Amino acid sequence: MTRLEIRNLSKSFGSLRLFHDVGFAVAAGETLALAGPSGGGKTILLRLIAGIMEPDEGSILIDGKDVGGVGPEARDVGVAFQNFALYPHMTAFENIASPLRARGTETARVKERVTEVAALLKIDHVLENQPRELSNGQKQRTALARALIRRPKVLLLDDPLRNVDAKLRYEMRLELPRLLAVADCAAIYVTQDYREAMGLGDLVGILRAGRFEQIAPPAEIYTRPRSVEIARLFGDPTINLLPCRPERTAEGLQVEIFGRPMPLPLHFAAAEGRDCLIGVRPEHVSVGLQNGPGSLPFELNAVTPLNVRAVLFLRDAAGTELLATCPEDDALAFGRGHHRVFVTIDTSRALLFDRENGQTLALPAAAQPLAA
Amino acid sequence: MATLVLDHLNKIYKPRGRAPVKAVDDVNLASADGEIIGLLGSSGCGKTSTLRMIAGFEDVSSGTIRIGEQPIQQTAPARRGVAMAFEGYALYPPLKIEDNIGFALLRQRMPRAEVRKRVRDIAELLEIQPILERYPPTISAGQQQRASLARALVRRAPVSLLDEPMSQLEPQLRAILRARIKDYLAAHQMTTVFVTHDQTEAIALADRIAVMEKGVLQQFASPAELKERPANLFVASFIGEPPMNVVQAEIGTTRGARVVQLFDRAGEPSFTLPIGGLGQDQIPLAPGKVILGIRPHRITLADQGLQGRIQSNQWLGDQTHLLIEVNGIPLTVVTHRRIPGRIGDNLAIEIPPRALHLFEPASGRALLHGGDAVRAAA
Amino acid sequence: MASKISGGAVLRAAARIIVLLFFLFPIFWVFLMSFQTNQQILRIPPSIFFTPTLENYTALFSGRLQTASGSLDIAFIKNLLNSIILSSCSVLIALILGVPAAYAFARFKFRLGENIAFTLLSFRFAPPLLVLVPLVAYFQMIGLSDTYIGLIWVYQLICLPLILWIVRGYFEDISPDIEHAYRVDGHSWAKTFFKIAIPLARPGIAAAALLSFIFAWNNFVFALILASADKQPVTVGALAFVTSAGIQYGIIAAAIVLSVTPTLLLALYAQRYLVEGLSLGAVKG
Repeated sequence: MTRLEIRNLSKSFGSLRLFHDVGFAVAAGETLALAGPSGGGKTILLRLIAGIMEPDEGSILIDGKDVGGVGPEARDVGVAFQNFALYPHMTAFENIASPLRARGTETARVKERVTEVAALLKIDHVLENQPRELSNGQKQRTALARALIRRPKVLLLDDPLRNVDAKLRYEMRLELPRLLAVADCAAIYVTQDYREAMGLGDLVGILRAGRFEQIAPPAEIYTRPRSVEIARLFGDPTINLLPCRPERTAEGLQVEIFGRPMPLPLHFAAAEGRDCLIGVRPEHVSVGLQNGPGSLPFELNAVTPLNVRAVLFLRDAAGTELLATCPEDDALAFGRGHHRVFVTIDTSRALLFDRENGQTLALPAAAQPLAA
Repeated sequence: MATLVLDHLNKIYKPRGRAPVKAVDDVNLASADGEIIGLLGSSGCGKTSTLRMIAGFEDVSSGTIRIGEQPIQQTAPARRGVAMAFEGYALYPPLKIEDNIGFALLRQRMPRAEVRKRVRDIAELLEIQPILERYPPTISAGQQQRASLARALVRRAPVSLLDEPMSQLEPQLRAILRARIKDYLAAHQMTTVFVTHDQTEAIALADRIAVMEKGVLQQFASPAELKERPANLFVASFIGEPPMNVVQAEIGTTRGARVVQLFDRAGEPSFTLPIGGLGQDQIPLAPGKVILGIRPHRITLADQGLQGRIQSNQWLGDQTHLLIEVNGIPLTVVTHRRIPGRIGDNLAIEIPPRALHLFEPASGRALLHGGDAVRAAA
Repeated sequence: MASKISGGAVLRAAARIIVLLFFLFPIFWVFLMSFQTNQQILRIPPSIFFTPTLENYTALFSGRLQTASGSLDIAFIKNLLNSIILSSCSVLIALILGVPAAYAFARFKFRLGENIAFTLLSFRFAPPLLVLVPLVAYFQMIGLSDTYIGLIWVYQLICLPLILWIVRGYFEDISPDIEHAYRVDGHSWAKTFFKIAIPLARPGIAAAALLSFIFAWNNFVFALILASADKQPVTVGALAFVTSAGIQYGIIAAAIVLSVTPTLLLALYAQRYLVEGLSLGAVKG
C-alpha cells in the first residue's frame, strides 16, 4: 500500500531551481534511500515532506491525503536530523517523550513507551542524562528514538550517521533494517555514502541536477546505472573508465583497450562505431602471477588493502592506470608490489557510456534473480 | 631516504593549576629506510604531538629523536630535513598553487625548469593540474589538501611528515590517490610518517602502523599483523572494518573436550565453540572468563553449522555485510559473494578456530590468536 | 629561565596595578568623599586621612540638609524610587516588545527586515538632544510630558535596540532544526517559541535585560528635559545639590554611591551573563 506519494514537486530558491517535477511513491514498510552529491536538494526534499518548507508546485500525499498547507505538527512524520537537534535543556527521556507529550499521552504510558524504545536502541541506561552528557552515538540513538516513538506514518532520516564515528556507523547500518522493519512506516533515508544507500534502501533514488536520474533497487543501480556519474558514485574503488570505440569484426563485436582487442557481448551492438567510455568495476579485473589465454601484462605498482579486500594498482607499458580488487587474503601473494602480473578483464560485465553526455549506451541483461 | 628513530620519547604538558598530562608516554619506534609509518589513534591519543615533536614545532620533554644517526631535537625545524603537510593545509595565500608547491625547491636553488617539471609531475599524480594557476582561497578544501600534500611530497625530503593527509578527499578519488601516493613514496624510497584517525587509510598506506591510545604506544606492526595478532582488545576492536565481534565468554570443558562458552548481552549462556585443537600443547590456556573476538570476514557461511537468523543482509557491490543472530548473540559477517535471504530467514554459519581471538577480561591483553594456534598445530 | 619568568610576572603585575588604579581610583575617591564634610573635601592639599561622618547619608535619608544658608529639602529617596520604576518598567516593556521582534529578525527573512533592524539600532547613534526639542513639544501636546508613561516610552530608545540586537544574536545561534524537531513532534508554533526558543536564549535575554537596565538607570538627558522634580531619577536629582550656597560635594558623592550600588550589585551578580552578552550575542547580532 502506498504510504507516501510525491507528485510533480518543484522548488526553487530565487533563480536556483532545486528540483523540477519530481515524483515518487514509497509503501509502508519500505525504505527509499536518497543518494547523490551534496547540494542536490536531498535535505530540502525532506523538509518539504516534513512541512518545514512549502513547495512551489506539486503535492505531497500521506495515506492518499494531500498534506499541502498542513503544519509539521499535524503531518504525522518523524524526522531524525543530521545534527541530532536534541533539546539541550531536557533529559534524554524528555527528548524522546516529546512527541507523546504533544499528544497528551498519559504519564504511565509515556514512561512505558520511552523505556521500550530506549531498550530497543540500547540507551535505556542514559535516559536521565542531558544531551551534552551523551556520546555522539548515544545522541544519535536518542534522536532516532524520538523519531520512532510514536510510530509515525512517514519517517525521514537526514544522513543520521554522518556525525558518528566509523565503528558506530557500521554497527548502526546493520541494526537499522531491523528497527525500520519494526517501525513499519514509509522511510526516506538521505545519505552521501553509497554503502548506506545500498544497505538500507529497498529503492535507491539518485537526485542530480533537480530531478531523479534513476530510482531502482540497489543491485540495479550498481550493475545497471543509467549514467557514468551514477556508476562513479557507487563503488569503492571507483569504476575504471577508459575511452574506446566498439567495432564489429570477423570475430564479432570488439573493443580495443590496453592495445588489445577484446570481445564484447552482443547487447552492446548499439554502441558500435561510437566514441564511448568503457566502465570496468575493479572487482571484475582479475590479477594473477601466471600468464594465461587472454591475459594482459601489467606492472603491479602498489597494493593498498581496503577493509576485507585489497586494491591492486596496475599500469600497462603505456602508463595507463587500472585498479583491481581481490579478497585481502588473495593479495598476500603479491607482496609489496612492483613486479609484473597478468590481468584478465571481464568485459561481459562492463558498462558502455556515451563519451559526450555520459548516458549509458547499453546495459547488460537484468541481474539474474538469486537462487534462494 | 633516512631512518627515523624515536627513543623513549615523552611529552608532558603542564597546564597551569592542573595536574600534568602525559600526552606522549615513553614511545619507542624505529623506521627502516624508505618505510611508510602510520600513527593511528582517536583524537587526543598523542599521535599529533608525536608528529609535531618530529617536525620540531613542539619541545621534547625527554627522550631522543634521530634522523639517520643524528639526534635532532635541538635542531631548528628548517634544518631537520623534514617536509610536512599540515592538517589545516597552511598554504601561502598570496602565492599561486604552483608557486606554493615549488617554493621549497626554489629556496634550495634547484633550477627553475627542473622545479617546474617536478611540480607538474606531482600535480598530475594528485590531479590538481587544472588549479596550478589558482590562488589557495579560491579552491575547495579537498583541493587545498591535495595542494598541501603536493608541497610536502614534491621535496622528497629525508623524512616526510603528513598530518591527516587525506581526510578531505573526495570519495571517488580516495582509492586511486592512496595507490598513487603509496607507489610514489616507494619509488623514491621516501621515509614517511603520517597521522590519521582512520584505520582504513592507515592500513591502505602504511608498511607498519603505530596504534596509540592515551599517549601510550599499543602496538607497532604491519597491517596484516595488527589484524591477525592484535596485542590487546583495544587494537583488535580499533583495527578492521566492519569492527570485530566482541563477546563475553568462558573457557570450560564439555564431555572431556575443551570449549569456549559464549554469553549473550543479558549474561545468559548461549552456544559453545570447540577449541579442542587450540591452546592445549602450543599455548597454555587456563579455564575462566575471557573476552572472545571474532573477525567478521573469518566467519564462513555453511550448509550445516550454527543456525542463525538474518537481521540484516546488505550487498554492497563487491561484498555482503550480514548481521546474523545466533542464539541471542548478534554477529557481523562479511563475505565476497551475494547472499540470498531476507530479514528473519535462517542461515547457518561456521566459526573456524582461526577466526577466534581470546583476551583477558581485566587487562584486555591478548591470550591467544586462533590463526597462530592453527599454524602451530599444522 | 626561572628569573626571566618571574621578571615577566612582575611586569605583568605592575601593568595590572596601573590599569586598576586608573579605573578604580575615581570610584574610590568618590566613596571617600561621601564620608567627608564639604570643608574636608575642599581642603588643599587633599588628604585621605579624616574623621568619617555619616552626615551626608543622614541628610539624604531624612530629606533635610542643614547648610550655612539655611535648610534645604532633598527628594533623593523619591528620586531613587523613580529610577527603579522607570528602569524596570522600561526593561520589562522592551523585553515584551523586543524578544519576539528579535526572534522574527533572527528566523524570518522579510522585506526590509535588515533595514528595520538597522533603523532601530541607529536610534542609538543619534545624539538624544537632536530629538528632544521636538519631543518636548509633542509630549506637551498629547499630555505625556512629565508622566512615567512618557518617560518609559522615550526610554525604549535606549532599551529596545539593545535587547533586539543582543537577543537576536542568541536566537541565531540556536539551530533552527531544534525548533523544527519540536514542531514535527506535534507541538504548535507558539509552544515551540515558549518551550524551546525562549529557554535556550535565556542567558542572552538575561544579559540584554541587565545591560539595558543599567543604561536606563544611567540615563540623564531624557529625564532632565522631560520630567519635573517628582518624576526625576537619581541621575537628575543629584543636580539639586548644586545650590545657591555652593556645590554640596559630600552629598553628591553620597548620592552617587547610593545610586551606583543597585546596578553595581546587579552587575556583580550577573557578571558572567554580562560578559557573554556583550561579547557573544552583540558581536554576532
